[in-house]
Amino acid sequence: MSVPLKKENVPEPIAYSEAALRNNANVLEYCRTSMSALSGSTAGVLGLTALNGFAFYMFSVVILWVMFMIKAGPNWQKYYVSRQSLLTHGFLGGLCTYVLFWTFIYGMVHVY
Amino acid sequence: MSDNDYSLASIGDLSEDEIFDLLRKWRESNERKSREINKIWTCRPDVVIENRPNEKYLIYEQIILATLDCNNSLGAIMVINTLDKQFPRSLRVMRYKAMVLESDGRYEDALQVLDEIIKVDETNAPARKRRVAVMKAQGLIGDAIKELVDYLKKYSADMEAWQELSELYLQIGEYSRAVYCVEELLLHQPHSHLLHQRVADIRYTMGGVENLELAKSYYCQALKLNANNMRALLGLILVTNNLLGHYKPTGCSKRKEAWKLSRWAQSEVTKKQREMRGADDNALTNMMLSLSISE
Amino acid sequence: MAELLLDPKIRLWVFLPIVVITFLVGIVRHYVSIILSSQKKIELLQVQDSQVMIRARLLRENGKYLPRQSFAMRRHWFNNEDTGYFKVQKRTSNAQNPMTDPGMMTDMLKGNVTNVLPMIVIGGWINWMFSGFLTTKVPFPLTLRFKPMLQRGVELAYLDASWVSSASWYFLNVFGLRTIYALVLGENNAADQSKMMQEQMSGAAMAMPPDPKAAFKAQWEALEITEHRWALANVENDLLIKND
Repeated sequence: MSVPLKKENVPEPIAYSEAALRNNANVLEYCRTSMSALSGSTAGVLGLTALNGFAFYMFSVVILWVMFMIKAGPNWQKYYVSRQSLLTHGFLGGLCTYVLFWTFIYGMVHVY
Repeated sequence: MSDNDYSLASIGDLSEDEIFDLLRKWRESNERKSREINKIWTCRPDVVIENRPNEKYLIYEQIILATLDCNNSLGAIMVINTLDKQFPRSLRVMRYKAMVLESDGRYEDALQVLDEIIKVDETNAPARKRRVAVMKAQGLIGDAIKELVDYLKKYSADMEAWQELSELYLQIGEYSRAVYCVEELLLHQPHSHLLHQRVADIRYTMGGVENLELAKSYYCQALKLNANNMRALLGLILVTNNLLGHYKPTGCSKRKEAWKLSRWAQSEVTKKQREMRGADDNALTNMMLSLSISE
Repeated sequence: MAELLLDPKIRLWVFLPIVVITFLVGIVRHYVSIILSSQKKIELLQVQDSQVMIRARLLRENGKYLPRQSFAMRRHWFNNEDTGYFKVQKRTSNAQNPMTDPGMMTDMLKGNVTNVLPMIVIGGWINWMFSGFLTTKVPFPLTLRFKPMLQRGVELAYLDASWVSSASWYFLNVFGLRTIYALVLGENNAADQSKMMQEQMSGAAMAMPPDPKAAFKAQWEALEITEHRWALANVENDLLIKND
C-alpha cells in the first residue's frame, strides 16, 4: 500500500488489510451513532421542528465528515477506501437514531 | 510512551493498574514476555488478580504460559489449581495440565492427557497441536512431522500449523516440502513481504537455475512490498550473482537483466548504508564488494 | 388545530419509564442470550470440509502468487479425476429437515426466546400498563397514513398525525435503540470485543453450506476454469522502473 501504482501495471489492485478495514468501520460507526445521538438531543433542546430539524441532521453529518477529513489529513487513502462512502454510509441508520433522540428530548422539553 | 521502555527491575515500582494495563497490552499484541510476567507473578503478591473479574481468567492463562516458559512449574500448578476449582471438567484446563507434565519431562503422561481430551472432543485443535509440540520437545522430528501432516489433513487452513511444518521440514533439510508449506502460507497472506522473502530464501538454498530464477522473482516482490527489507536486498544480490555464473556469457537477455538487477541492488545497498552511517560502514562495504562479480 | 396540553405527570410516569424499560430490557436480553448461547457441536468431517473449501477459494484468489508448477500441483490435488479431493470424497447430501435435528430445534427455540418473546411480553405489558396515553409529539408534520402506526391504542379521528401514543412510543424505542445498544454494549467490556473477533474468525471457518456435495461441485468447477496468471512475471522490471 506504500507502493505507488503506475498506469502500466493496472492488473495489480491495491491490497487492503481486512482486519484494519473492519476496525476502521467499527470506529466510524461508533462516531456516527454518538454524533447522531448528540445532534438529536441538541435539536430537541433547541426545539427545532420540521425541516429545520432535518437540515440540522444534514449539517451534523457534514460536520462529522469534515472532522473525519481533518483527522485523516492529506493521506486519507491510507485509512479509507473512498471519501464519498464516508459521507453517505450509515446515513439512514443514523437518521433513525437522530429522530428518536430528537423526538425524545423535544417531548421532554417542549411538549408538556 | 514510558510503557515501552520499562525494564525487568522496574516491575516492582509499577502500580496495580499499570501492571494490568501492561498485561493487557502484551496479551493484545501477542507478546510473550514470559520473564516479565513470571516476575510479576512471583514478586508482586500485592497485585490481586481476582479484583479483575472481566479479564482474570485470561490473565491466569497468560501467567501459566509464562511460568512454564521460566521453568516455574510450581507457579503454574498453583494457577491451574485455581482454574480447576472454577472449571472442574474444562478441557482447556486439562490442556494446561498436560503442558505442566510436558515441562517436567513426563512426555508419556502428557500425551495420555491430550489423548483423553481428543477422545472427549474430536475437534479440539489445540490439543492435537500440543501433541505435535510434545513430540518436537522430545526431538522426534520425524514423528512430529507425521503427526502434523495428519493434523493438516483435517485442518488444512491452519496457518500456524503450516508454518511449523515448514520449519520442521527445514530442520531435516526437506526443502521442496518446506517450500510447499510456505507457499500455502503465501496463499493466505499474499501481501506479506516476509513470506515472499522466505520462499525466496528456501528456493535459493535449493539451488538450480529454475529455483534461482524463482528466488529472484520472490526477492523482487518482497522488495516491492517493502523497500526496506535488507535481507531480501542481500538475497537479491546473492541470487543475481549466482545466476550470472549460470548463464552463458554472451547475448542473453536474461543475463542482461540479472546484471542490471544486481547492479541496482548493490547501489541500493550502498545508498542504505550511507543513510545509516554506522561505525562498521567500511567493513560492510568491503564485504559487499567481495560478494559482487566484476564484469 | 388547537394545541393539546399534556399533564406533566405523563412525562414522569409514562414517557420516561417506557424509554428506560426498553433500554434495560435490551441490555438484559443481550446478557441472557450470552448465557443461553451454547457451543455448537461440530463434527470433524465438517471442519475438514470447510477448511478444504477455504483452501480452494484461496488458491483461486491468490494462486497467481505461486509458480505455475505449484499452482498446478495444488489444483491437481483438488481436482484430479481419480485422486482429487473433490472427486474422491463422497459426501452424502445432508440437507436435513431442521425439525428432525434436535440441536437445531433448541437453537431456534433459544433464538425465539431471546428475541421475539421479550418483545411480545414487554410490549403486551406496556400496552396494558400504559394504555391510552398520548405521550409525545414528533417535531415534524406527518401525513394521515402514519396515524395507525403512531397512534396505536388511541382511536381519535381528528387528532393530528404527529402525536404518538404510548404503545407506539415503545415500538419506536425498540427499533431506534438498536444502534445505541451497539454503542453501549460494544465499548463497555474490552474482553467482549476480542471474543466477538474470535467468533467471527471461527464462524467464517466453520460456516459450512448444508450440502457439501453441491458445494464441492461448485468449487471443483470454479477451480477447473481458473487460469493461472503468474503475478510476479514483471516484478523485476517494475522494481527497476520504480527506482529509476
